[in-house]
Amino acid sequence: MRTYILRRLLQIVPLMLGIAALTFLLLYLAPGDFLNTMAENPQISPETLEAMRRNFGLDRPAYVQFLLYIGNLLRGDFGESFSRHQPVFAVLREGVANTLVLAVAAALVTWGLAIPLGVWAAVRQDTWVDRVLSFGAFAWLSVPEVLSGLLLLLFAARTGWFPVGGMHSLDWDGMDAFGKAFDLARHLVLPAIVVGLIPLAARMRQMRANLLDVLRLDYVTTARAKGLAERDVIFKHALRNAINPLITLFGYTLGALVSGSFVAEVIFGWPGLGRITLEAILSQDQYLVMGAVLMASAMLVLGNLVADLMLAAADPRIAYE
Amino acid sequence: MRTSGCVGAIGAGLLCLASAGCSGRSGAVPARVDAHPLPADTMTLALPELGEYGGRFVIGQTSSPKTFNPIMSNESSSNDVNNRLYAALMDYDNGAMRDTFGLARAYEMSADGLTYTWHLRRGLCFSDGHPLTAEDVLFTFEVAYDATLHPAVQDLLSIGGKHFEVSAPDSYTVVTRIAKPYANMLGTMASLYIVPKHVLEASFRRGEFASAYRVSTPPESIVTSGPWRVKQFVQNEKTVIAPNPYWYRTDARGRRLPYLDEVVFLIVPDQNTAALKFAAGDLDAIDQVKPEDYKTYADGAKAGDYTLHDLGPGMTTNFFWFNLNRVREAAPGKKLGATQVDRLKYAWFSNPVFRRAVSMAIDREAIIRGPFFGDAVKNWSTATAGNKTWYTPEVGGSDYNPEESKKLLASLGFKDANADGILEDAQGHALRFTLKTNSDNNVRKAMANLIKDDLARVGIDCLPAPVEFNTLITNLRQDFQYDAILLGLQSGVPPDPVGQGQNTLRSTGLTHFWNIKQPKPETEAEARIDQLVEDNLTTTDFAKRRSDWVEIQKLLNDECFVVWLPTQIIKVPVRNRFGNVQPTVIPHRLLWNIERVFMKARPGRA
Repeated sequence: MRTYILRRLLQIVPLMLGIAALTFLLLYLAPGDFLNTMAENPQISPETLEAMRRNFGLDRPAYVQFLLYIGNLLRGDFGESFSRHQPVFAVLREGVANTLVLAVAAALVTWGLAIPLGVWAAVRQDTWVDRVLSFGAFAWLSVPEVLSGLLLLLFAARTGWFPVGGMHSLDWDGMDAFGKAFDLARHLVLPAIVVGLIPLAARMRQMRANLLDVLRLDYVTTARAKGLAERDVIFKHALRNAINPLITLFGYTLGALVSGSFVAEVIFGWPGLGRITLEAILSQDQYLVMGAVLMASAMLVLGNLVADLMLAAADPRIAYE
Repeated sequence: MRTSGCVGAIGAGLLCLASAGCSGRSGAVPARVDAHPLPADTMTLALPELGEYGGRFVIGQTSSPKTFNPIMSNESSSNDVNNRLYAALMDYDNGAMRDTFGLARAYEMSADGLTYTWHLRRGLCFSDGHPLTAEDVLFTFEVAYDATLHPAVQDLLSIGGKHFEVSAPDSYTVVTRIAKPYANMLGTMASLYIVPKHVLEASFRRGEFASAYRVSTPPESIVTSGPWRVKQFVQNEKTVIAPNPYWYRTDARGRRLPYLDEVVFLIVPDQNTAALKFAAGDLDAIDQVKPEDYKTYADGAKAGDYTLHDLGPGMTTNFFWFNLNRVREAAPGKKLGATQVDRLKYAWFSNPVFRRAVSMAIDREAIIRGPFFGDAVKNWSTATAGNKTWYTPEVGGSDYNPEESKKLLASLGFKDANADGILEDAQGHALRFTLKTNSDNNVRKAMANLIKDDLARVGIDCLPAPVEFNTLITNLRQDFQYDAILLGLQSGVPPDPVGQGQNTLRSTGLTHFWNIKQPKPETEAEARIDQLVEDNLTTTDFAKRRSDWVEIQKLLNDECFVVWLPTQIIKVPVRNRFGNVQPTVIPHRLLWNIERVFMKARPGRA
């Protein structure tokens, strides 16, 4: 198992280099550079622009810029943000933490709803409960994230029940630990709903299908024949087996939720990786974009690794060498 | 059923979180006590109302500041904050639109206009209590003139390509000597924010000045020279500034300013969210409102206890121009000096009569009624009607007159020979061009569509082409792949159209959009404008400067180098509980006088 993990981790290195190369190429091919917006300002002279281009190393040939970047990357140096004069890693660190908070909350929403609703739909198969749940989940799936986000923001502004975007209240610093936790939770609700409800439909249907499959198996019939209560048949026997395949999916979903939260972050002003990335792309803050893409990719890859490991842990038939 | 119980529990949890509503805001804070003696040379401001200490003003910002280093900051999110944190020898009064004194209490200009002697106020201190003297001014000049750093402010601090000679005969006197008389001297001295030598000299000598005072610097280590200091910075969430306890300005009672305890720059990603946050009471004012939202804000003013201030015509201009650029650097397939558009189009675009015909085909009243919802005025200059100092109503332009436009086009030999509704030139080429603009600006896109309809009525086929901003900039500066571009210019502070706009007016300029970086002026009008700009900037005689400016505008408009479009009227909502609020069209519209603003009622709100 240890060898397997090590091999998987080593595989990440060339993958990351490939992603870095591709990102660099795309940024290079995109029109303009970081100094574009400044060039539009009549108060900044061509000489100043040239000096800035030199200071940022943008005057060097693209391949030199790329090789220098890769060299630094292999030493763990992500470069410096042009706009902030600050190491990229320091800029991204907080954003990554905030994105993970949102992704975990969204995962709780997804799984906290998908499992019970899937079970409910399965035990009430083909009744109105089953149909309403399926219809609701798929209806939400078909609403674009941007629209659902804006609608929920509007809802928050109209009712005053939830904060209109952001991660903390202005008075956060003066709150005690309980107040802080409560405040963070209030800010998390709407973005977590937007991000978490997207995969809900698929996960709920999976839970339903898995449980239905298991309920048809002989041992369930045996349990029922023994005269066990239906509740015990479902929760003690069927559910434990039916939930197994979903454990694997959990890891994958976590990775997907990280990237899925980018849109919601922008709409809700959530100070995560998505906001930083969008801003960096718009201003063509080259190394910050590359750093952000690499971070997001790393989270996705690690999420998948975790999924594979969880699968092995959950199912004794699977063993990695 | 257990599952439904689980769903119910989640729902109850959400309701519980929701029911907390808006109760999370703090109550009153203890009144501030001014602990430090006032400096010997204070500056007493005559304020409409005398205020009390306390309160917080929250304003939205689309992105976080990138640095707290005022010399290295060069984008608006950083400048909006840094302009509150640092002070210069001179200052600018946005309301009266005139220069005022800052850290200097007086200055003298020599008879030849080349030597300025600046007298610093006595007893000035940085936000850490360290004295602010001529040493700090000299250090700031040294940083600004550094060849490696090459900050943007260096361009302002040069006249005739030469740096100022700066010396300090004593701790309270700074002498600057310049090569030629400089019209914008006071404005320039208001742009150089003084930074503390005792804190920043070490990093400067190490060659690390650019990364000094970055946003990750602990707030207490950021020593400022202005009315405010940094209290807290949370990336992509908020920046909080608090009063500099050593600031030199007072009200008529001798009470030190600023009044407010805090100004919060809250990160709000876009205008729609800002509107929602303002409605929810999270923001106290908004400085950028779309004209289509004016009515909604006006209707909600009473219920929201705010006033929608009508500031009149703004300073941002809108216009388009035709591509008259030439190849300045030979490249494969591009001959030096060849026109960037094909010769056929160049023949049309380079003719002032053609450009005038285009200008006269555009119904500006319709544009005002359309994308601006009636809240705009016609404009014919980079100094709009909002510019109290430089607006010249006597300068007009080629306004809507479709019949005259058709006549002008006919006089150039254009006629619709094949009766398809589009004119052709003498060789039979259809009169067709693309009009590019940036796709993220809805007002510009709407204007381009109306222009297309207007031009179609006189027989010109104009194709609006919205493109991404960076592509547009590459088009207009590097590859010149365009026929015409619709853009706008914002005003700087002070709004001196020649001083701030010289790179646009001079034929050598990088923002002389229609034909940039000309080795020598290609038209007589441009040669004359170059001369007038030079004359204008090297005199301090305002009457002379104004008459030069009138001539510059007339030359520009006679030649129709740019086709002018309307300018938006600016309206901003501000809560009524703040006193001494005086929004202006010059940036920053709401914060320029925030040191004077006070909260009428104690904090704690509905």
